[in-house]
Amino acid sequence: MQVKYIQPFINATIKVFKEFVGVDIVPGSPFIFNYNENKYNYDISGIIGIAGHTMGIVVVSFPKIVALDFASKATGEKITIFDDTVIDLVGEIVNIIAGNAKQGLEQYKLVISLPSIVKGVNHQITGVSGVPLIGIPFKSEKGSIYLFVSLKDLITA
Amino acid sequence: MKILIVDDSLIIRKVLKNILKEKKVSESDMFDAPDGQAALEILNSHDIGLLLVDWNMPKLNGLELVKIVRKIEKYQSLPIIMITSEAAKYNVLEAVKAGVSDYIIKPVSGVTVLQKLKQYL
Repeated sequence: MQVKYIQPFINATIKVFKEFVGVDIVPGSPFIFNYNENKYNYDISGIIGIAGHTMGIVVVSFPKIVALDFASKATGEKITIFDDTVIDLVGEIVNIIAGNAKQGLEQYKLVISLPSIVKGVNHQITGVSGVPLIGIPFKSEKGSIYLFVSLKDLITA
Repeated sequence: MKILIVDDSLIIRKVLKNILKEKKVSESDMFDAPDGQAALEILNSHDIGLLLVDWNMPKLNGLELVKIVRKIEKYQSLPIIMITSEAAKYNVLEAVKAGVSDYIIKPVSGVTVLQKLKQYL
């Protein structure tokens, strides 16, 4: 997977959290995600499939405390339980990130799926078969969130 | 004027309703639907004067909804604003071709939406 695929997703992630949730998040160093290392902390993920002249997935994963904090900020209401509002927010965030990232990847004619949500402590996340899953941590006040991207290289017609 | 908001995200529907309230649109003139299919039922049973529609939705997506709406005689000149995360130029062109009047890329800011709405309210 080429590095040039990643930057539009990072840019979109920063923009979405600033403008939709109202928080500044700071990207850290990218890493190749290895689920067996099990050193990451997250409880809910929004997942979107990508097709077009490439194919893959984009995932945004949150620890519970961060998801609740962001849902409270986005709605202006105190949200303390993992309810439909949190699920809605996580789905909308990954949807906007994937849609906005298309701007930097116009030549690949990407098509995005509807978001899916997975909940559970450190649930398994896997990328496209044979393609590394690149993780990018983002620091926020309440903890780190993770952006995961796994995209095949250009599929020629 | 009756306004229909179509988006599968409850949060986005709430945000847009709050923006409309700032424009003094009354609650009774605001309708909302979580997908294109539910939106069509409202469009058929009310005289909607402005449609705000997302693109990616279950059952019937926004693009397909716009194409259907444009075939309904009373809605041929209905202002339709697509509010979507789909930010690629080819998406904007596809939406315009389908019949949208305006296009806003999410994340939505109140200022952008209010500026666009000025032309239609």
